[in-house]
Amino acid sequence: MFKNEEMEINLGPQHPSTHGVLRVKLRLDGETITHCKPVIGYLHRGVEKICENQTFFQGQVWTDRMDYCSAVANNLGWAEANEKLFGITVPRRAQYIRTLLNEFNRLASHLIWLATHALDIGAMTVFLYAFREREDILDMNEAFCGSRLTTTAFRIGGLREDMPPGFEKMARKFLAKFPTCLEEYENLLSENRIWKKRTVGVAMLSAEDAIALGVTGPVLRAAGVPYDIRKAFPYAAYGEMDFEVPTQTAADTYARYLVRMAEMRQSARIIQQCLDGMPEGPVMAKIPKILKPEVNEVYHATEAPKGEIGYYLVGEKGSTNPYRFHVRAPGFINLQSLPKMAEGGLIADIVAAIGTLDIVLGEIDR
Amino acid sequence: MTEPIIPPAPEVLEAPAGPYVYDYAASPQRQVVMPKTVPLPSYRTYLAEVKAAAEADEAKWKKMQADYETAKAKAEAEGKDAPKPPVRPVPRKDDNDLKTPWPQEAKDADLLLLQEVLGAKVEEIFEQAGELTCQLEKGAIHEALTLCREHEGLRYEMLADQSATHYPAANDFAYSVVYHLTSISRRKRLRLRILVPEGFVPESACSVYPSANWMEREIFDMLGISFANHPDMTRILCPDDWEGHALRKDYPVVGWGQRDVAFREDRGGMIERIALQKAGQLGINLKQPKAD
Amino acid sequence: MGVMQPSAFEQILITTKVEKVMNWSRATSVWPVTFGLACCAIEMMAAGASRFDFDRFGAGIFRATPRQADLMIIAGTVTYKMAPVIKTLYDQMPEPKWVIAMGSCATAGGPFDSYHTIQGVDKIIPVDVFIPGCPPRPESLIYGFMKLQDKIMTSSLADRYKDIFEEVG
Repeated sequence: MFKNEEMEINLGPQHPSTHGVLRVKLRLDGETITHCKPVIGYLHRGVEKICENQTFFQGQVWTDRMDYCSAVANNLGWAEANEKLFGITVPRRAQYIRTLLNEFNRLASHLIWLATHALDIGAMTVFLYAFREREDILDMNEAFCGSRLTTTAFRIGGLREDMPPGFEKMARKFLAKFPTCLEEYENLLSENRIWKKRTVGVAMLSAEDAIALGVTGPVLRAAGVPYDIRKAFPYAAYGEMDFEVPTQTAADTYARYLVRMAEMRQSARIIQQCLDGMPEGPVMAKIPKILKPEVNEVYHATEAPKGEIGYYLVGEKGSTNPYRFHVRAPGFINLQSLPKMAEGGLIADIVAAIGTLDIVLGEIDR
Repeated sequence: MTEPIIPPAPEVLEAPAGPYVYDYAASPQRQVVMPKTVPLPSYRTYLAEVKAAAEADEAKWKKMQADYETAKAKAEAEGKDAPKPPVRPVPRKDDNDLKTPWPQEAKDADLLLLQEVLGAKVEEIFEQAGELTCQLEKGAIHEALTLCREHEGLRYEMLADQSATHYPAANDFAYSVVYHLTSISRRKRLRLRILVPEGFVPESACSVYPSANWMEREIFDMLGISFANHPDMTRILCPDDWEGHALRKDYPVVGWGQRDVAFREDRGGMIERIALQKAGQLGINLKQPKAD
Repeated sequence: MGVMQPSAFEQILITTKVEKVMNWSRATSVWPVTFGLACCAIEMMAAGASRFDFDRFGAGIFRATPRQADLMIIAGTVTYKMAPVIKTLYDQMPEPKWVIAMGSCATAGGPFDSYHTIQGVDKIIPVDVFIPGCPPRPESLIYGFMKLQDKIMTSSLADRYKDIFEEVG
């Protein structure tokens, strides 16, 4: 009697999981998803339009609020795209500090991912543990930029100020304790039977599909493709750093968990190298107060915690505003693969699929 | 006999064009300023500009010399001291770290290969700020994308980004659509560009790169360019009943007033419910028109 | 003299109004609905997590459904597409209900003065407490929440429905 009868379910837009205002239209056959369509735009704030009507310097404020879990990574991409547009060379010390802050930000973003992903699947304790370490990173953000979340960390041409006194000590103290914290999370999850049941073999996305759908970041690396922009197209001070690109071949949610945990270890390694090899010198290039570009267009991509974030800027001669400001948001492209991951799976697993993509609706809708 | 008094016809106010009204005069900084130039980077335009600037510079120098000659002749005739000979102005050198990336001639093998294979369909190739750009004829984009993906010497596996720009000041086109391709195996990036007039429907890239699906929907939503053979050409960010395309240059930042929604401040609809109940007992239809 | 000595009855009993007891119990167990929109949601989560521990105020139980919640914390930018959803969710909450507008976006549009952003959530639903900041720190949220508790403690049933009774007659 109930055969061949499909049910339509609407997931969201009020908190489908702890990831923001995403809405997913689902068609179910029993508990199996036969059709899945994400609907976005519930947080569309017109960032691109606003930034086209602000000067080059002012635009940074809005990049903070796109991917609010990793504001520094957005700032870095924005600053480097502008520097490419104007042809500015950034001093080496500024590059190192940028790298340092960016890696701290990657840790904070991955910790948020771990906390919310585990919370969605049902592991409450990890949430409290991960936020404990994240608060320490936010304290460092605050010491450097004066703000916890929306950092506005950089300026075109370098940094506004050098590191504050005591910052290095804070960072080293954090690095000393962070490996044990990582072990704590792994003790809670890695061999946890429930965690493995909910993640192993769930939300598969093969390497071919991932590349065709433009997926980048840890999701692509968990499918066995060692594509990391920090290695492939080095920027900031990543060319001088010694680190590995962790990959897995299983291409499921558990593999993505392993990749991100390994990435956090590599980030800690990069921070250590930045602190040890910090060069002396100025932190700001010599540039005029008002920047006016020549006719030029740039696309600059950097590796944000979620994947490739690219800024496409068009400069108009004699104008102080960008003529076109476009952001290639990693979450926007990655979310396209949700139907591929979820269709054929169980309804309960779509929460794992959304969590493992590590989406932030602020950058998807912009 | 007095003229009959004809009452003056009531002045008919012109209805606003759209369903929304927004007082732009009240906030002058929000008025739309249309761009006057076409900032489309191009090596050919750059060369022409450089040539024109050099010619203007030369003409100015010639004029200065001629002026000097006449002034000298005049001074000699009047028996005064000769004026100072003119000095050719040298461009001022700025002491800063800016090094403007000018367009350069294409030397990269990928661009040359594209030009060789596609022939006349390639309108222009150049490099700028270390990025490769290939401008194509607008009908050849699908062929070029297929070539970039399939050709053994190119192998651009991923479409990283697709975006468009509005150029209202241009004469023969209205939009440029850019495709940013990434080759993961060869670690290279390439930009393809087409120039599209208003109303033209370019071929969708979805059949070659499935990742173009949402990006093309976004372009449709924001700029109003629709793509042919796209599986689902609908709005993606704005709601389906939205009017206007936000990233066009003639669209104001604050929009056409859609954002000024007003709901009645009535906790849980209590006032309305009681009022309707009372009115119903008296047989009056009190239903107020809803805010549109 | 004029001073009244407490009677024996009053010495063994605390007397209060029923309304005050109700307010006290409401103010100390406010259950918010999980309603994160944007950046402020992360700070709301941080307020609920280890260091700040929102549970101390009896408000740590974030409910996933509006039908079980008393308080809606609008944490983030309200857009044109989201506005009807917010209105629906608010209408689904049982009385008595309160709303905190967290952050400058929910208060007045914040930095997003653009076509798709509603300039303040008070255009859609009534708001009890506004918290400024972009985003507000967790301490600000806690302070705003304590202000709401004060408001609940001093509120009375008669005040709440006074407008309605006057208007309807």
